[in-house]
Amino acid sequence: MRRAARAFADALEGRLGGLVARSPQVALILADGIGRLRCRVSGRWPSPEEVQALFPELARPEAARVASRIGGIAARSRVLVECIRARGPRPTRSLVPHPPPGFIRLRAPAILGFFHVGAFQALGAAFEWLPGPVLAFRHGLLTASRPPITVLSTGGSDQERSAVFLRALTHLGSGGFVATAFDEVPGRGVRVPLLGRSLELARGPFALSRLSRTPLIPLAARWHGGTVAVDVGEPLVTDRSPDPDTHETMQATAAARWIEAYLRRAPDQVGLGLLRRLLEPPAPASAVSGPVASS
Amino acid sequence: MEAGAALDEEIRELLRSRVPLARALDDLPDSLQLGAGGLGLDSIALVELLLECEERFHLPPSLPLLEGPPLTIGLFAAHARAGAGR
Repeated sequence: MRRAARAFADALEGRLGGLVARSPQVALILADGIGRLRCRVSGRWPSPEEVQALFPELARPEAARVASRIGGIAARSRVLVECIRARGPRPTRSLVPHPPPGFIRLRAPAILGFFHVGAFQALGAAFEWLPGPVLAFRHGLLTASRPPITVLSTGGSDQERSAVFLRALTHLGSGGFVATAFDEVPGRGVRVPLLGRSLELARGPFALSRLSRTPLIPLAARWHGGTVAVDVGEPLVTDRSPDPDTHETMQATAAARWIEAYLRRAPDQVGLGLLRRLLEPPAPASAVSGPVASS
Repeated sequence: MEAGAALDEEIRELLRSRVPLARALDDLPDSLQLGAGGLGLDSIALVELLLECEERFHLPPSLPLLEGPPLTIGLFAAHARAGAGR
């Protein structure tokens, strides 16, 4: 039954490829419905139990509704990614038809950090509204860069990442914006508490902020019907520690607190991938794990 | 020639002061990589080291170094000598 449900939902999603380029808002709303259906019929992707594991205050019926909405958002993300991969970012621009209100107070240079929650795949369309050139980090490239956004991959070797990091420092020095994920960890990370569990965050955004003395601002994108709204937080403010590891850990903890408050207000925004990572037991301490923050 | 040798030694002293693995080695040959498989500097530590050297030794920007082959002590020292000779 679950396999049949998944196959049926996959087939329906696959048919949206042509529609999403012509009418992305309609296609993504349909994808949302398919994702919710897949989740409700199968009881998975995610299950209500998985949702309750992170949000134990939710009663079973509400956890099931949240799970369904998470499934819908996951389907939107899959369809959006396929659209961008096939046709570039242009079809996504209609998803953010106006500058997000929170962008009005943003001034370059600034580092914008996000988690893989909600409509994160649509952030590229939002970044086009920023009042300055944007250097965006991505693990792997979906599409070629187009002005005013330059996309650099954080994949590859440590040295290649060093080059990307140095370019980001230069970009900030020239008065630009850098956009990067907190929870994509290509190298040594820092583990922080989140939703009663722990999550490893990348050191890059915090090291970039420390070395450039540039504000680090968290943000999150969420679906608002067929368009995308962006919630912009206040710059992460922590006491400046002379020890780099301590300073980065404090900032990482502050980032985790911000997203935790956001997700507690809107549990359906927790991305399916992030949910699964949080529910996984952390890997045994190894050379690649950095400092561990206390609660 | 002497200035170049002095700069090479300063770079090695800097590495010994910043990198635990460098302190544990008797010798820091030119062929030793700064990153994985050598001194083990991760991406951020490598950038911090290069920025410190840019400031300390008045070197040109390090980005071309990072976009080339795996960075070794020898390659970095050659970059430093070339920059110092300007």
